[in-house]
Amino acid sequence: MTIIEPVESQTKYTGTRVRRTEDPRLLAGRGQYIDDVTVPKMIEAAVLRSPLAHARITNIDVSRARAHPGVFDVLTGQDLATVAGQQPVIWFPIPEQRIAKTHALAVDQVRWVGQAVAAVVAVDRYVAEDALELIDIDYEPLPVVADLDAALAPDAPKLYDDWPDNVSGSLTYTAGDPDAAFASADLVVSASFRHGRAFGCPLEPRGCIVNWDTFAGSLDVWLSTQSPNLARDLLAEVFGIPVHKIRVRTPNLGGGFGNKFDFYGEEVIAAVLSRRTGRPVKLIEDRAESFVATSHSRDQRLDFEMALRSDGTILGLRGVSYGVLGGAFGTVGSGPPWASVLTCMGPYKIPNMDVTVKAVMTNRSPYGSYRGWGVPKGNIVHERLIELAARKLGMDRTEIRRKNFPAPEEFPFFTGVAFTYDSGRYADCLDLATSKIDELGWRERQARARAEGRSVGIGYSFHVEPSAYGPSRILNLVGLAHSGFDEVTVRMDSIGKVTIYSGQINMGQGTHTIYAQLAADTLGIPMDDVVVITGDTDSCPYTGYGTGGSRAAPLGGAAILRAGERLRAKILRIAAELLEASPEDLQIQDGQISVKGTTGRSVSTRDVGDAAYRRLLNRLPEGETPTLEEVDVFDPPNMATSYGCTALLVEVDRETGTVSLLDCLQAHDCGTVINPMLVDGQLAGGLAQALGGALLEELVYDEEGQLKTASFMDYLLPTAMEIPPFHFYHQETPAPDIPGGIKGVGEAGPIAGVSLVGSAIDDALSDLGVAVTRFPCTPPRLLELIREAQSRKEGSA
Amino acid sequence: MKPPPVKYARAGDVQEAIALLTEHGSDAKVLAGGQSLIPLMNFRLARPSILIDINRVRELDYVREDNGTLAIGAMTRQRDVETSSVAAASVPLLPEVLRHVGHITNRNRGTVGGSLAHADPAAELPALVTGLGGELVVQGPNGVRTIPAEDFFMSTFTTALEPDEVLIGVRLPRLPGGTGVAVEELARRHGDFAIVAAMAAVHLAPDRSVDLVRLAVSGVDSVPVRLHAAEDALTGGRPSAEAIEAAAATVADAIHPADDVHAPASYRRDMAQLLVKRVAKAALERSETKS
Repeated sequence: MTIIEPVESQTKYTGTRVRRTEDPRLLAGRGQYIDDVTVPKMIEAAVLRSPLAHARITNIDVSRARAHPGVFDVLTGQDLATVAGQQPVIWFPIPEQRIAKTHALAVDQVRWVGQAVAAVVAVDRYVAEDALELIDIDYEPLPVVADLDAALAPDAPKLYDDWPDNVSGSLTYTAGDPDAAFASADLVVSASFRHGRAFGCPLEPRGCIVNWDTFAGSLDVWLSTQSPNLARDLLAEVFGIPVHKIRVRTPNLGGGFGNKFDFYGEEVIAAVLSRRTGRPVKLIEDRAESFVATSHSRDQRLDFEMALRSDGTILGLRGVSYGVLGGAFGTVGSGPPWASVLTCMGPYKIPNMDVTVKAVMTNRSPYGSYRGWGVPKGNIVHERLIELAARKLGMDRTEIRRKNFPAPEEFPFFTGVAFTYDSGRYADCLDLATSKIDELGWRERQARARAEGRSVGIGYSFHVEPSAYGPSRILNLVGLAHSGFDEVTVRMDSIGKVTIYSGQINMGQGTHTIYAQLAADTLGIPMDDVVVITGDTDSCPYTGYGTGGSRAAPLGGAAILRAGERLRAKILRIAAELLEASPEDLQIQDGQISVKGTTGRSVSTRDVGDAAYRRLLNRLPEGETPTLEEVDVFDPPNMATSYGCTALLVEVDRETGTVSLLDCLQAHDCGTVINPMLVDGQLAGGLAQALGGALLEELVYDEEGQLKTASFMDYLLPTAMEIPPFHFYHQETPAPDIPGGIKGVGEAGPIAGVSLVGSAIDDALSDLGVAVTRFPCTPPRLLELIREAQSRKEGSA
Repeated sequence: MKPPPVKYARAGDVQEAIALLTEHGSDAKVLAGGQSLIPLMNFRLARPSILIDINRVRELDYVREDNGTLAIGAMTRQRDVETSSVAAASVPLLPEVLRHVGHITNRNRGTVGGSLAHADPAAELPALVTGLGGELVVQGPNGVRTIPAEDFFMSTFTTALEPDEVLIGVRLPRLPGGTGVAVEELARRHGDFAIVAAMAAVHLAPDRSVDLVRLAVSGVDSVPVRLHAAEDALTGGRPSAEAIEAAAATVADAIHPADDVHAPASYRRDMAQLLVKRVAKAALERSETKS
């Protein structure tokens, strides 16, 4: 007889590099994205966009377009405004802020190039675009507010006549006694940092199909979105129709990156066109439109200063974060620039602070969500300033960071502004990164290159990533008109297989894979027995917010674990009846339930399913409800703050100002790692986006408010050719407030990676004393910094 | 991004293409690899009424040596030239330059003639043909004529091609054995059009004096620019750092760069000078190792 040791730990998928269940069909080209979806009798729309940044619309004549063969309908802003409200805003972080709202189609005034002014729906997209050329619009140009300085100038033209100026609002947070801290400091370092406009640029642009059934009064919507529940609520608000009459379904997403979190006017335009024509209407944003019609982000100036003692202890931080918003509010308003202020102290203990966010309107595209959501700019403030201070004090760049970290026992750690970080072993993470720099031989590479006269530098960035957004009531308190909980249903069916229903969206992160891993481990069943369903508001539960704020793994994961625990208990109770044993003595492994420590009789989840759904007599315990289903709603008591230390090896060509990325590593702690391969993927993709933002990507406007980078010829995404090798190292410190200990990881790369490039360039040019403060750091800009530094050096020599 | 309505005709040979061009005049556009034309049509920036597709004109797909000249058919795919041993032996600068043209997928589709006829002043192939003193071979209703490269490229996207003419090929003089070649391109990303590209071919006489120099730049004028003054400054003398400096000093007067979103004119001017120095030096070093 074989003796089998009892196995207590059931874990077998969590923590392993399980391949993504999503991939085979996507890689085989069998995915179904929004433009692959067709519905019967569908017609196609296209949008006419403003060629001017600021103008009054004095006349619109659609008669020629309407008469064009194949055209079903032409819609103007005035038509739309009779049936639809203004575009909703959900974030109001600044008290008494002026909120700049607009309709999905401009009614009488345009405030950015690319603002939608009319729409055509026709037999197909070709005809719709032909008809757009037949719409005649008379514009009366108005003075353009092209950038932040123009917006803040004393005699600036105003975007909104009933506002006193172009400032939507401002909010200051203070902690301690900042004035005294700065007065008593040994050293104050300051800088004005700028991050150019950029956007998430999912390679699949946005799109929707809307069918308005005027008989049922219902809306059936296919939408390429990260937040179907939010879209449903906001469609209900805009049209004043009940939520239960709106169904939002989401096909495969070809990237979202926060851009598809926001709620856009095109959804509303398509709905109105459908209502007017009685046909389902498809409206796809094409690549060219995406540069003006998808939310822009990142555009900020941050004027900050840091006070320190001569031993490197940070005493204080103060400054202003200017959010360079567009001509109207996007869904998340001034949220991202506000988040920069909330995170501008980063991982450091700074007892005295005076930090302000100021939201300013300009004649640019609306500002919205993009992976990182303001935190990358907070990171620029603390990481660039602490390095400038290290340089002045002659301190090692890692030592000055270490000196200012809260110790692990100081958590939960209140930053002084809004967040309380749940847990952290920052010094350990820093040590992990520096030990890997040594192992990879970067310092030798740098020394060799320098001996050859080449400029090679090592950059650092220590970042924090507040994730698992968030406790609903606290989100409401800080100005979100929405919640942050997550709900899942875990259902075992009549043959013992499991389906998980979630309100989260799978847009490339591998959510379906990790949810199946967690459910399989909790229930003791094979992963192949789990199916995950997302992307349909009729069948899937409500999630607060949407898939954003790095919340799908920690919140959805916690809810699956909690529901799974309860379902497992019920499975064991039913199995106990079948096995005539006590539930406490049972275990489940690979879907087989048996008495622990024995090799005797077992039953399968199939037997349990049958007992719960079909043949209940003498099998389902008395008093037990039929079916096997648990619902869990998890509203976190606190957020979970991930963190990491990233390092980058670069080479700078001093004669051209070009930067080559040679190698990159990140030591990281996102609590329990569900799937290291997918965490690596999140980190790598995010870093690639940050490196693009740091060196390449910029939405450049001229003084007339015209966008000069409206194609992939000029808006430069990094390709595989530009991205360095990546090395990732995981440190696991379970999140104390999240069942399962999971923290979010989706935004680590974008947060860490921009200041990182500045740090590495500075180090490569350390003999010159260059300080990179403006991103993207393009070759002409860097060459100018180099030449200035060279002439400074020659002047002082 | 849907093009306006457009008619389509496929030409089976050059004569047929010319006949179609004669029939439709300046409303017609010849479709070669489509790497620039199709995006321009999707943006509705190009609006030809008819496309004349010459992709089936097999007679224009060749790379051959012909009497001290490398002859390349207009419809030869860039990738085929890049990997051609005939081209590499005759004009070793060619594969080096082609590696900077887009990515492999672009070069698989893009044609030599398409790039030359499109005449983007930042493109690499027009600069190479100009720099090496190549000739463009064009055919119209009245027969075949050849046009020196410096006369062919007239301005941005503008060439000496008449509306009823088809570019059928290009002829490049063979570079003598032992010629050193070098290309440097400053672009924001791999495969992008150049902010500035510079290319050089240098040959040394038995006494180690410079007896052949070809220098060209792209991205710094409305046409690709052959740097005659710089060539003259290097020719005849012994290679030296001073000679290279003197050659580079002539560059600024030979070019007319413009500002754009990627770089101001002043940056382009400085970089043209720098890259000319770099390619001249590299080409000299390579020619020495070969002689």
